[in-house]
Amino acid sequence: MKKIRKIDRRKFLRGCGTAMSLPLLDIMLDPAKGGHGVAPKRAAFFYIPNGVVQDRWQWGSDGGEFVLSPTLKPLQDLKEKISVYSNLDRIKVAGTDGHAQASTCWLSSAHPTELSPAGYPLKRTVDQLIADETAKYTPFRSLELSCNPYTDNKESVYFDNISWYGHGHVAKSMRDPDKVFRRLFVADENKVSSSILDLVLEDAKSLQRQLGAQDLRKLDEYLDSVRSVEKQIKRVEDRKGTIEELRLEAPTVPWPELERHQYIQLMGDLMVLALQTDLTRVASLMVAPERWSTPQKVDGLFEQPVVHHSWTHQQGDDRVRAELARLDRYHVEQFAYVTRKMLRVKEGHTTLLDNTMFLFGSGLSSGKDHVYTNLPLVMAGSAGGAIKTNRYIKSEEGTPVANLWLAMTQVMGSKAGVLGDSTRALDLS
Amino acid sequence: MIVRTFCIFLIFAGTAFSQQRDIRLPYPLNGVYEGEYHFTASKPARVQGMSHYGKDWSRDAHLLWDGKLGDTLELSFLVRFDSEYDLGLRLTKAPDYGICQVYLDGEKISGAIDTFALGVELASLTELGKHKLSQGVHRLELKLVGASQKARPFKQEGRFLLGVDYLHLKNLKPKAAGNMPGIELVHVDYAELHQVLKTYCSDCHHADRREGKVDLESLTTSELFLGDLQIASKVIAVLQAGEMPPEGAQQPSLDQKSQLVLGLQNYLDERLASQQSLQPVVMRRMNRLEYNYSVVELLDLKGDIYPLPEKVIRSDFPYYQPIAGLMPDRLQLGNRTLGKNVIEKPILTGVFPFAADLPAENGFNNRGEELSISALQLETFVDLAQAVVHAPEFNDYSNVFKALFVYAGSEDPLVVARKRLSSLLEKAFRSPVPEELLNRYATFFEVRLQQTGDFQRAMKDVVAAVMSSPRFLYIIETVPEGAPRQRLSDYELATRLSFFLWNSIPDDDLLKLAREGKLSDPKTLERQVREMLLDPRSQSLSQNFARQWLRLDQLVTAVPDSKRFENYYSRIGCEYWKLGLQSMLEPLLLFESVMIEDRPILELIDSDYTYRSEELHHWYRAEIPFKSRGERNRFLPSYQQFNRIELNDKREGGVITTAAILTMTSSPLRTNPITRGAWVAGVIFNRPPPPPPDIVPEIEEDDAVIEAQGLTLRQVLKQHQTNQSCKSCHARIDPLGFVLENYDAVGRWRDNYRGGLPIDATGELFGEVRFQDIVSFKEALLERPEVFTRAFSEHLLSYALGRELEVSDKLAVDTIVRNVLANEGRFSSVVVEIAMSYPFRHKQVVEAENPSEEIMEVLGK
Repeated sequence: MKKIRKIDRRKFLRGCGTAMSLPLLDIMLDPAKGGHGVAPKRAAFFYIPNGVVQDRWQWGSDGGEFVLSPTLKPLQDLKEKISVYSNLDRIKVAGTDGHAQASTCWLSSAHPTELSPAGYPLKRTVDQLIADETAKYTPFRSLELSCNPYTDNKESVYFDNISWYGHGHVAKSMRDPDKVFRRLFVADENKVSSSILDLVLEDAKSLQRQLGAQDLRKLDEYLDSVRSVEKQIKRVEDRKGTIEELRLEAPTVPWPELERHQYIQLMGDLMVLALQTDLTRVASLMVAPERWSTPQKVDGLFEQPVVHHSWTHQQGDDRVRAELARLDRYHVEQFAYVTRKMLRVKEGHTTLLDNTMFLFGSGLSSGKDHVYTNLPLVMAGSAGGAIKTNRYIKSEEGTPVANLWLAMTQVMGSKAGVLGDSTRALDLS
Repeated sequence: MIVRTFCIFLIFAGTAFSQQRDIRLPYPLNGVYEGEYHFTASKPARVQGMSHYGKDWSRDAHLLWDGKLGDTLELSFLVRFDSEYDLGLRLTKAPDYGICQVYLDGEKISGAIDTFALGVELASLTELGKHKLSQGVHRLELKLVGASQKARPFKQEGRFLLGVDYLHLKNLKPKAAGNMPGIELVHVDYAELHQVLKTYCSDCHHADRREGKVDLESLTTSELFLGDLQIASKVIAVLQAGEMPPEGAQQPSLDQKSQLVLGLQNYLDERLASQQSLQPVVMRRMNRLEYNYSVVELLDLKGDIYPLPEKVIRSDFPYYQPIAGLMPDRLQLGNRTLGKNVIEKPILTGVFPFAADLPAENGFNNRGEELSISALQLETFVDLAQAVVHAPEFNDYSNVFKALFVYAGSEDPLVVARKRLSSLLEKAFRSPVPEELLNRYATFFEVRLQQTGDFQRAMKDVVAAVMSSPRFLYIIETVPEGAPRQRLSDYELATRLSFFLWNSIPDDDLLKLAREGKLSDPKTLERQVREMLLDPRSQSLSQNFARQWLRLDQLVTAVPDSKRFENYYSRIGCEYWKLGLQSMLEPLLLFESVMIEDRPILELIDSDYTYRSEELHHWYRAEIPFKSRGERNRFLPSYQQFNRIELNDKREGGVITTAAILTMTSSPLRTNPITRGAWVAGVIFNRPPPPPPDIVPEIEEDDAVIEAQGLTLRQVLKQHQTNQSCKSCHARIDPLGFVLENYDAVGRWRDNYRGGLPIDATGELFGEVRFQDIVSFKEALLERPEVFTRAFSEHLLSYALGRELEVSDKLAVDTIVRNVLANEGRFSSVVVEIAMSYPFRHKQVVEAENPSEEIMEVLGK
């Protein structure tokens, strides 16, 4: 029988931790060494499922003093680096499950009337729109991570992903930190040869003549991916030297043996590393999949396995609501951990956090009744000064969250003037 | 007689869909109405197989019924043509059978018929005389009027049995009927149907209220009714299932209801037959089980390329041998504990499975819309292909290593490679290999050979490239010239078949048939399907279809409370091994035995045997399988012996009442009747409930707490259904869950709740059949074999096609169901009927209405 190993927390994080001291970006920033002088802007997303306990999330003051609500208290030391939003809504479309739509369409750029064949208002998501602007600078177009620990195949693809190239074409998230590490930092692992890609690309193109419209779209996904990987190979090759210099060590413990916070934080570390080393400028992390009523151990927080989704529906019970609020706060703590990590990465006179827009949120405000209005949203970082922090931005009631998405894509270089049901870009500065 | 109130006439459908026709009541073409098939019968009629009593019974079965003296067995049957008929009735005789009198449409047409006999035998034909019968439904009644003095009562005093083998209708004026091709649809005037809809439905479904967004009042013509086929089909389904009108509302009589269903159905069928539309299948990427089997087939490997959690049952001994026709009685099996995060050792060094694809909601993980390739996944596939061929173990692992990768002899290596590639490409891409395609890969080989100077190396590289091509990774059906809908090419048919039955690319035999253009011949196709079922590779239907259909993976993460259900775990306080997880094997083994022994699929509802390990059997008996804790700690997680066990109690048997299903649909501290009901609705009836509403009331998670309030779970749930929309949906789901309430949260039988409160497992099915408990629930399902047969066929067809079914598939499903029922519901007949069905053998192309820019760009290149 298998024995559980005692895990030395420092040991498994050490590999990733060493990079913190490496002033990789300094080289890139230094014009004398061929750098551009200005640190690039990055965008990252941190998704929590099933909404939050409203009376611990919301806070009294509006417009006046910026005070953190009980759930947001773990961000107290970062208060000057964050901004909090309210009254931003999504429009829920009838016909599909409230939860699936919450996650899969959280970042969707579709107007509520634009439905995919599966019935979702799902189109290229905001992170991918941003990647359209930034991908040309980095080896990897974007990075999608998920801390989904479940193996019971209970829910569909729509509950497990927030990033989409388009409907039907998911930017599938990675769950295994070891695989993430190898993909990003072990150059030898990227052994895909360009000659094979050339061949299959040619082969794929020769298929086009023989396909109907629907299948052409599918084949296009394949072609897109081949082109992405081709570019990626060249850029990874260019960066191979600097990546090897990092001398990073792979995580030593298989992820299923990690405690919950270790798992989330390890994924967070990897995300920060990817952004810090400019391997990508766009990343997202789903802390857990939407709904998925599977009991889960949250070590150190609850003795028994908990079912997050069930709790959200039972929060009328004070006892349950209190426990649920602890879980919300726990998720905010994990977000705070990653944010602090960004803050510690120096980039010239600034930090990684200063150059990043790192958004925390959920596709539901309250999971109790599947409410899509007044979504919980916290932004950390200022994207190179584009976002004013240390404040609470209360929009007019009924403001589409697409206004925020539009503003974020514009900060990242997009020229688009409209996104989904946006009315105008939210003023972030 | 209600039939006369409707204007009924015959419609002759076109010939194109001649195999696709149906009416609610089946009727025979030869005038022999089989007791077990052609009637709708009153309770408690059931089908009894008679082959063990001799070979006299028509189709080896009869309809068995029992009642008290004075009770009547009511049989409805459908007459095709206005005509005069000579009626004859064939009954069964036995020691506990009674005396009956026969009535036709309320009129007595026989004297007393005594069906007593010392042994079980078939009575001679009872002449019932000549009668004029109109087209439509008629009623035959057998009134139990007495019993021979020698007859012994059945179960209790004054109760006797009757058995109907068949009713024969000899048409005395056959010319009046003409020479029918057998494709008639019975037609009822729509105005009459609408009148019934208006009377019973328009209170809620009128223009202003539009409950459920349906306004039936305004659908005054059949054209309007057929304006939205989805809604039309939904209306029929809820009427048929007795879900509408809801409880408490004024109900149409049973006759009115069946006429309404029959009539509306025929309008829908007629429209579908004339439309002949077909939902297209989107090209899809292989999932990881399919990828594994395809690579194994392509390179003739000795085993899998990576460990697969999809394979729940593990065995060193190849027990799955369908050619034997019998499943062994004793099996040494292991169980892959998917959920326990066991990292399995790789099979080939450096070859790892890619991430599992998630199932569609109420479906399978093989749908194009949900299976794409991101940059990350493309990288994975290209890496994976290279990892396989370059794995250190590869050369010994592939049976075609020498034939494919080794160069020996004096021939030009390029010529050798080209020859080998030609057949490899045909197999990998499941298509003929045009010169251009062959050149592409041959050139790649040539370049690699020049670069490396190593034939083997260059060959491995080109094979890896083949395995990375979309032609290999996707299941593609090409656009035919001409009509947007065509028959599949033989190669495409071979591919659909092999992915359906083997989760793999076609093997050499199948390819040969495709190459020779023989596979599309119906006789060859059927023979081939049957041969494929007899191949051990058909086990993937259990590994992949059955596992997903039953949603069995969900058991992996079930965590019954470790204190209350201590026995579920092998060790308390840590969960390395859940003893209870071995229950996962039981439904899969039952499924496999139904496949191997070609049993009726209804045995998945109720079987008189099952497969259990000793611990599992103890489990159901709520006995502690181990004498002491110490012994439990020594429980061997890797292998148990599973034995075939006879069951003689309907509380056990079939898949629904297995511990696996009952546990995974429970919460840690109590059963979850709504989850169970939703499971039964989706899996057993293929009528999954709509997504839950946004406002869901809270229900206490611990049944001990509920009971302390003096309430049962059922009472609590009832209290929470506050409005009509909750009620009408839960009226459908809840009884399907509460019927399982006699099983606790880990699937063990209980008569009462732990605190002593009684369990209420009663409910109603199809809006007319009351059931008391799981036993009468199963009996009700067995009495309507078409219900489960349809649901199961739909699930399997959807799996076979890789898409969701649509209204346009209805006629095809009707045909499948009818033919399967005519074949006693044998498993193989479901598979054969699906493979022969119209949607399986045809493809439909979608023309872009407004091609998007990206597609135009692609086309331009």
